[in-house]
Amino acid sequence: MATEERTKEILQGLYDAVVQFEEEDAAKWARIAVDEGVDPFEASMDGLAAGMIEVGEKYNRKEYFVPELLLCADALYAGLDILKPVIEASGRKSEVKGSIVLGVVEGDVHDIGKNLVKLMFEVAGWTVYDLGKDVPLDKFVEEQIRTDSDVVGISALMTTSMLAMPELIKKLRARNPNVRIMLGGAPLNPEVAQKYGADGYAKTAGTAVDEAMRLLKMLKEQEMKKK
Amino acid sequence: MALNLNSRERVLRLFRREKIDYIPVFSGMGNITVHGLGKYGWKFAEIHTNARKMASMAASTYELFGFECAVVPFDLAVEAQALGSKANYYPHATEILYPTISEHPAEKVEDLNLQVPSDLSKAARIPLVCEALRLLKKEVGDKIVIGSHVLGPYTLAGQLLDLSRLAKAAFKKADLVGALLDKLANALIEIIRIYREAGADYITVREMGAGPDILSPRIFQFLIMPPLKRIFGAIDSPNVLHICGDTNDIIEQMAACGADALSVEKKNNVAETRRKLGPDALIFGELDAYNVLCLGKPDQVEKAVKEAIDAGVNAIWPGCDIWPAVPKENMEMLMSAARKYGKLG
Repeated sequence: MATEERTKEILQGLYDAVVQFEEEDAAKWARIAVDEGVDPFEASMDGLAAGMIEVGEKYNRKEYFVPELLLCADALYAGLDILKPVIEASGRKSEVKGSIVLGVVEGDVHDIGKNLVKLMFEVAGWTVYDLGKDVPLDKFVEEQIRTDSDVVGISALMTTSMLAMPELIKKLRARNPNVRIMLGGAPLNPEVAQKYGADGYAKTAGTAVDEAMRLLKMLKEQEMKKK
Repeated sequence: MALNLNSRERVLRLFRREKIDYIPVFSGMGNITVHGLGKYGWKFAEIHTNARKMASMAASTYELFGFECAVVPFDLAVEAQALGSKANYYPHATEILYPTISEHPAEKVEDLNLQVPSDLSKAARIPLVCEALRLLKKEVGDKIVIGSHVLGPYTLAGQLLDLSRLAKAAFKKADLVGALLDKLANALIEIIRIYREAGADYITVREMGAGPDILSPRIFQFLIMPPLKRIFGAIDSPNVLHICGDTNDIIEQMAACGADALSVEKKNNVAETRRKLGPDALIFGELDAYNVLCLGKPDQVEKAVKEAIDAGVNAIWPGCDIWPAVPKENMEMLMSAARKYGKLG
């Protein structure tokens, strides 16, 4: 077992590797974390994911742009690829928080944002059903029913493609009134998301998981009340 | 003596920086409406692949509302198709879905063996766009300006490759990306020449994939600017450079690309842009094409037009394609507000 001080050093190594988009360093620190017995879930959340949240902040501050975000995401995956099997083997999978169906609406082939959101859910231990891009509306509905997912996350980059969202939300609710729906993407904002009838909105990949957790909590409380 | 200009003269004189009577309302991008589609009873998907329908639809916003131009094509896939991408027109869709690229010739920049057809005027839908331009020239070319648009080299590269890989390569393999953009600039110069020959009065180069929401000003400077400069140095006037997003940080670099006019959207602070570029720069914008023009009420449209004029635009341009579902009343208010607030002394 690593000492508290050594654990801190390893988490910092993972964090820095993501922020400075050093893929090899991320893999290196992830292996060290496993070898020295650091809790792999902690390494993934407090090291890798924490780094990615800082990356999102750097994007908001215009220090980083889309290429940097993508390179940071690659570094995160390099670390996660090593940590994930260990997390699963340790039985921590039972702590899985929720499940989400993700996709970009039909007519839109821009999936960079959606992929970053997916990454944050994966690192947080959610089960992600990724439908990809240019997804017909009915596909979202079918996949939600098939997987009985708690949350559906819908993304659009183009103004021209976000217009399908209200209809999609209606369809999802008609089939499953309990489903929680969150929206994201450049042309959206909280007001439009509300107007469209969504439960939640995330401006960035970094905030998407927190928003989904809030929706999940709402869902659980509702179920408790019913019981 | 009061000037008595028709829409065509007004816009052409503006580009030549001659005296005009009113600030014109036109666009370099898509501006068709569901009202035009309704007039002809056509589906959105069918107007991209038929020159007759394309031309009639392009003229319909002028005919219905007095919008001061006709622009073809309506989608952003034409150049990429000519260079090897495949497009999806969503023929099944009952709602408005713009064509998208469904297949790239390559995913990574190092794997792209760019094949530029020896005669671009015969490639993919370019002859169809040219036919639509010729029809427009003949039918409305004495009343309004006829416009066309192409993507900028980087945005076009994003239609030929996987966008994520391209963005990473712009950071890590800038020399490879630069070489590709250079080749694409050559192809675009030729496509623009072909469009002009077919009857386009002005060309808008849309480099929206390289704006400051996506690439850093540093990458814009060394990777995006050089091919844009080459394009604007090689093509005829009048021409416009359009980039969306909050472009205030790169507006001087945009101006240095050499276009006759710059087009910006709502996220650009036009008053600040005007201060930076001076009184002689032609700035077109910055009407919010969706939140105001489509979702807003007529009084919000009126306010937005007044604000754009007060901020110092030389022409009222929607900051993007007009969303076709724009309400009739809003289009009517757009035109009347521009006349009300846009009278020039």
